[in-house]
Amino acid sequence: MKNTSSKTFRLSASRVTLLYILIFAVGISSILVAAYYLTARVLDREVDAVIRTEVEGLVDDYRRGGMLQLIDTLNRRADHWGRTGAVYLLADANGNRIGGNIGSWPTAFSTSEDWVEFDIDASEHGGIVSHPVRAHLFRLPGGVRLLVGTDILERKRLATRMRYAMLWGAGLCVGLAALVSLSYSRGVRRRVSAIAATCETIMRGDLSQRLRIEKGRDEFDALSTTVNHMLDRIQQQTEVLRTTFDSAAHDLRAPLYRARVRIEETLQHEDMSASSRATMEATLAEVDRMQRTLGTLLQIAQAEGHGNELAMGEVDLTALARELADLYQPEASARGLTLSFAGTDGARLRGNEQLLAQVLVNLLENALKYVPAGGHIDVRVTAAPDCVVVEIADTGPGIPPEDRLRVLQPFVRLERDRSQSGSGLGLSLIAAVMRLHRATIELLDNEPGLRVRCVFPKEGDQVIQ
Amino acid sequence: MRLLLIEDDLQAAEYLIKSLREHHYEVVHSADGRDGLAKATSQRFDVIVADRQLPHLDGLSIITQLRAKQDRTPVLILSALGTVDDRVHGLKAGGDDYLTKPFAFAELLARIEALSRRASPAAQEVTRLGYAGLELDLLSRRVTREGRNIDLTAKEFQLLEYFLRRPEQVITRTMLLEGVWNLHFDPQTNIIDVHMSRLRNCVDKGFSTQLIHTVRGAGYVLKDEEHEQ
Repeated sequence: MKNTSSKTFRLSASRVTLLYILIFAVGISSILVAAYYLTARVLDREVDAVIRTEVEGLVDDYRRGGMLQLIDTLNRRADHWGRTGAVYLLADANGNRIGGNIGSWPTAFSTSEDWVEFDIDASEHGGIVSHPVRAHLFRLPGGVRLLVGTDILERKRLATRMRYAMLWGAGLCVGLAALVSLSYSRGVRRRVSAIAATCETIMRGDLSQRLRIEKGRDEFDALSTTVNHMLDRIQQQTEVLRTTFDSAAHDLRAPLYRARVRIEETLQHEDMSASSRATMEATLAEVDRMQRTLGTLLQIAQAEGHGNELAMGEVDLTALARELADLYQPEASARGLTLSFAGTDGARLRGNEQLLAQVLVNLLENALKYVPAGGHIDVRVTAAPDCVVVEIADTGPGIPPEDRLRVLQPFVRLERDRSQSGSGLGLSLIAAVMRLHRATIELLDNEPGLRVRCVFPKEGDQVIQ
Repeated sequence: MRLLLIEDDLQAAEYLIKSLREHHYEVVHSADGRDGLAKATSQRFDVIVADRQLPHLDGLSIITQLRAKQDRTPVLILSALGTVDDRVHGLKAGGDDYLTKPFAFAELLARIEALSRRASPAAQEVTRLGYAGLELDLLSRRVTREGRNIDLTAKEFQLLEYFLRRPEQVITRTMLLEGVWNLHFDPQTNIIDVHMSRLRNCVDKGFSTQLIHTVRGAGYVLKDEEHEQ
């Protein structure tokens, strides 16, 4: 379960990071693209305004002095080519040049358009350089056409440079943002994983563990400090409880041991009356019962509190369950019950073999105790890719749904079982051992009867492949 | 048979010493760990019974120090109730057997007997075990009695092997649970008796002499009582 939650978190963290980078990229790109197009448009308009003014001047000349005046002005101005970058051409209806500073009518465009762009090759520094030109076409009476344009090479170069600058800028910004947010999300993930790992250890019973405080004095440190204070409190209280329990248990153990020894000693006397002997033997049985209850309580305490001190090794649950089913088989037959076992291979996990055996023994003994003659007990071990499932199902009276959670608590017994022997601790020991193995136990309806389902997770460090 | 009992509970020790002496053991008692270790190293004992928790020096440290001096005397550890892994720690430290307090005296006696016999160089690497006409071949996994074949399940074979390795010794139910089924706790129901009666059916049925006997209040024994000298 730990894996799933941390995986979800990892996913959500990277998803947030990716989303952030994406939004940032879209934002910065739209700003830069908008800036680029606005600038380009302003430049374009400026060029067009210059050309338009030029055309208006020339048309004025034509109106005042006719064609001759126009040609004269054109020839005067055309000399400036190279300095102003202005392009002029006056041509007749057939496209033959009348005046201007370029040789012939450009062929790259149809004559119906008002605004055109074309390239002129100009010799510069001993080579031919292609110059882009933007021009306006103006029709004069008599089919004469006037072309006024300007060299836009510099403008185009500026636009290209601007594009590159913006592209690099955007790339750099997005890259930096990605770097910062990825490293931040990795940092967050690392802190949260560290906290989760520590909490896992604490949950397994090592209350001495504390969350690490990094010197960053960030929100995580603030949270960790508070959690650590809380853990100090819990540990202190648990310690008091444990010490009380341990000393109480210890103080009970010694007198029980002595009582048993004394009763045994008394029973050694041959000259004892039959009735006294019977009383002594009954007392001995009671002492053994007390001892068993105390032993189970101590085992529960150990599984719950000192889990990390227990020896954990590889346990083959299929082999263990098969062995125990075999062990109880003759006893079941003697009680008129059938006991079946089915198991798949590969049900290996890390655990305390004796405690797991105790769980299976308790479950089998419960079934033997409550299932009436003629009934059936089925033990089943299934190894799934992510978990090992142990099921013990019987055809007995079952447990009412409302009592199923309650019976897992210490000393809780069903009213109908009061007459049966037992301490009411068997299922609590099972529940404690399950928690120690991070496993879950469910009491289900076997229709009719009880189906106990224990699911052991196959987690990274839990399962030996 | 000389036995060293290291136990700080004087009342219990008194009864144990008395009962052990009745069973012809020469018992030396020590009430604390340091004194116990001194006695264990200065004298020769057949078996040492040591409590896990002792004043001055605990039971495990006594074993560790003895083993460091190449002293192989078998040690039985008495451990407090409800400590799941004491057995593992005890055996790891070099202890030979382990018993949880409180215990029935018969249980302690059976285990002391088993340990004292083990101390004599028994044939560990045998391939055949035999007793009073009962033969068990560990390689072919065949069992015969007076030449007649006896069919046993794998577990019954293991159970009989346990007895044949300890002929004429009292074997308790707990010893069988530990030795044959590797269960180191006591189940509430008595499941051993059914298995024993099945084994007995296979081994003794149809023969004039009974080899597997019930010892009241203790357990079972493999013994040929009729041909005893």
